[in-house]
Amino acid sequence: MFFKPLDLSTALRPSLLPDETLLFVQDAVGLYEGSKYKIPNYQDGHAYLTSHRVSYVAVEEPRKHSVAIDLKDIDRAEYQAGFLKSSPKITLHPKPPKNSSGSKSVGLSRTQSPLVQTSISHLKPSAPTPVNATWICPICSFSNPIPSNFDPSTATATHIPPCLACGIKPPFTTVLKAAITAAAALSHEGTPIISGGSQFGTGESSSHTNGAPDAGQSLVPCPRCTFVNHPSLHECEICGASLSSALDVLNSSQHRAESPAPFFQQGSIKDTEISDNIKLSFRGGGEKIFYERLKGALVQRKWLLYNAPPVPQQPSPNTFPTLTSTTNGSVSTQTRAPAPGIAGLEQRGLEARRNNEVVIGTAFEDLEALMASAKHIVTLAETLARESGMGEEPSLETSVVLSESAAALGMVTTKDMLSSGSENLYLSELSRNLAEYLTDNQKGLLQNEGGIISLIDLWAIFNRSRNGVELVSPADFQRAAELWGSLRLPVRLRRFKSGLLVVQRNDWSDEKTIQQLQDWLLELQQNPPADPEPLSWDWRLFGRAITAQEAAQRFKWSVGVAAEELEMAEDRGILCREEGIEGLRFWGNYITTTPDDLDSGLTRLVI
Amino acid sequence: MKNNPMASIASFQFPPTYSFPPFFTPQPNATTRLSQLQKWSALIQSWCRHHRIHRLSLIDAVESPLFHNAPLRKRIPLVEARKILDWMAEGEEKGGGGRRAEWIDGGNKTVAWIWWRRPEEWAGILADWIESTGQKNVVLTVYELVEGEETMSKEWHGMDVDVMMKSLNVLVKRGKAQVFGNEGQEGVKFF
Repeated sequence: MFFKPLDLSTALRPSLLPDETLLFVQDAVGLYEGSKYKIPNYQDGHAYLTSHRVSYVAVEEPRKHSVAIDLKDIDRAEYQAGFLKSSPKITLHPKPPKNSSGSKSVGLSRTQSPLVQTSISHLKPSAPTPVNATWICPICSFSNPIPSNFDPSTATATHIPPCLACGIKPPFTTVLKAAITAAAALSHEGTPIISGGSQFGTGESSSHTNGAPDAGQSLVPCPRCTFVNHPSLHECEICGASLSSALDVLNSSQHRAESPAPFFQQGSIKDTEISDNIKLSFRGGGEKIFYERLKGALVQRKWLLYNAPPVPQQPSPNTFPTLTSTTNGSVSTQTRAPAPGIAGLEQRGLEARRNNEVVIGTAFEDLEALMASAKHIVTLAETLARESGMGEEPSLETSVVLSESAAALGMVTTKDMLSSGSENLYLSELSRNLAEYLTDNQKGLLQNEGGIISLIDLWAIFNRSRNGVELVSPADFQRAAELWGSLRLPVRLRRFKSGLLVVQRNDWSDEKTIQQLQDWLLELQQNPPADPEPLSWDWRLFGRAITAQEAAQRFKWSVGVAAEELEMAEDRGILCREEGIEGLRFWGNYITTTPDDLDSGLTRLVI
Repeated sequence: MKNNPMASIASFQFPPTYSFPPFFTPQPNATTRLSQLQKWSALIQSWCRHHRIHRLSLIDAVESPLFHNAPLRKRIPLVEARKILDWMAEGEEKGGGGRRAEWIDGGNKTVAWIWWRRPEEWAGILADWIESTGQKNVVLTVYELVEGEETMSKEWHGMDVDVMMKSLNVLVKRGKAQVFGNEGQEGVKFF
């Protein structure tokens, strides 16, 4: 398993591969390497789950500290509930290496880690060893015996019996820790067992064997009766409860304070091979949905689609027989002569139910067929979108943008991708989403609109590109747009004097707009007007008037934006207005600043 | 207003700004507006001076070329002309045009003095003229001052009698002249 470098989009989100879809986003996530070591600089970021990867993007310095792990390298994922101060975590287990390099990498990791003691690092309880151990129910504190067939390496699959007292199923880790403690105690007595294939729990075992036998370590309070026991004891002297969890808490809290990072240097962890498992710590919640979708993605194996040949144009024939046969069947039942009376009603109800059954059955078959031909459907949707774009008036650039953006549908963040409580995360993701949508060079939305687009127009285009599903409310939209500044994204929201909100590139300023306008006015002053009607003023001196419509046409702004920009320039004294029967027109400001040849004449007249 | 204003219109050279269309639209930008008012003030003063007008009737003026640019088909409406004169009437310390105009009919605001020379300035010019021509302690009639042959070449020749009286009163206050006689037959003695 590798930490792969991650390409970020302009909005600091992972840029997706072709066919890759975004499944879930969660903020406040930290990365752990091995079982308990925090990776420095990777402790506060967004976790993006896509159909191909698990990506981590740091909040601070995202371009430096962002990595991805391919799902294809992940063997399985494990969920670990939060306990006391420990946040809920998801453990990603790497696939066992196919060649012999696996053992090498284990050796490498061992030498790199000074804290893991080589003598005890791979002590493991093997599956069939009878373990005489107890685990303490976190609910009722009853100490239960660990079943004899409990095997830590396959424990996720095996059934864990509920607590004998309260009947609540224990968290897997509690049982596991208890089992390992017992095994460690066994090994201490002189029956060490060398671990097999799975590396799971090496950190745990080391920590317990570290903690348990050391004399002179701090005393351990019993979690049940709070009696302070000698550290070498594994069961409470008074009540007989296991002390393993208390020991574990002690150890883990000590390690947490230090936050050692044995495997990785302070710098980047990109391209680092990891043989051990990786943990994602979910400090802000959301771990359950992440886990569910991760499991789903691991099952679906969408990454295989990328290299798969396109599905043949004809739908697979085996779907047709079922379809035709069922329709035939339903038709035949319907054509049967209706029986009279109650029997007839019952018969009709029965038929309706049977019909429903068939319809539902075919529907699910269709669904499976749809999934099988997913790639085909996507390409079909794209061509359809392109054709619909062609059918409309080609001059409407927005419609082209719209149809092309249908391909980018997978990129959008929807509310159901995020857990319900994380409104802020939704907004910030939407904000990044919008920034990407705007700055996407392929669509060139902002360029086509002359570098400026009103927020209302953007909202309409954006929602239309979502094809009527998962629409964004105006309030959310505006709040997301207001986040651009604080998220340091390449677009910004600007409020004109009238209150009109527009979206602009970050590097665009009023000065640049004014420069554009002045260049235009100068051009008008230098080129004789095309109008054959003689002008009543000297166009060489004053140039010509410009209207908001003309400005909109020239700079590809919308008329509203053009009017606002002209008024902005007027406000700065660059332009002045003329109100007449032709409407509002703007001129270069020759009231305040007079041309040189004009100035002398005027002063002569005044004096 | 002895001279016929219409006869001398052709000779009046309007400033180039006069043919700038936005000049006839009140500007919302404060800085631009100030420049616009200053230029209008200068234009009105030079126009009045050219035509020897002291008393400007706005009702007539908005139809005159001063406020109506026929080739450009632009005009200053009465309301706007009042605003310009209001600004001219304000002192410079109040952000106005330095009291270059003064309403004659008070609140009606239809007729105004246009002070292309303020009475104080006229008083100074008159005093200089008396001094240079050695007419101190000589009694002159006001009619003589305004319409006499000796003042034919002077700027105040043909001046409105009211303006002349205002200017003489300034000199009286300074103790440099004495006005006596009846209404319409005033005489003045310079010291």
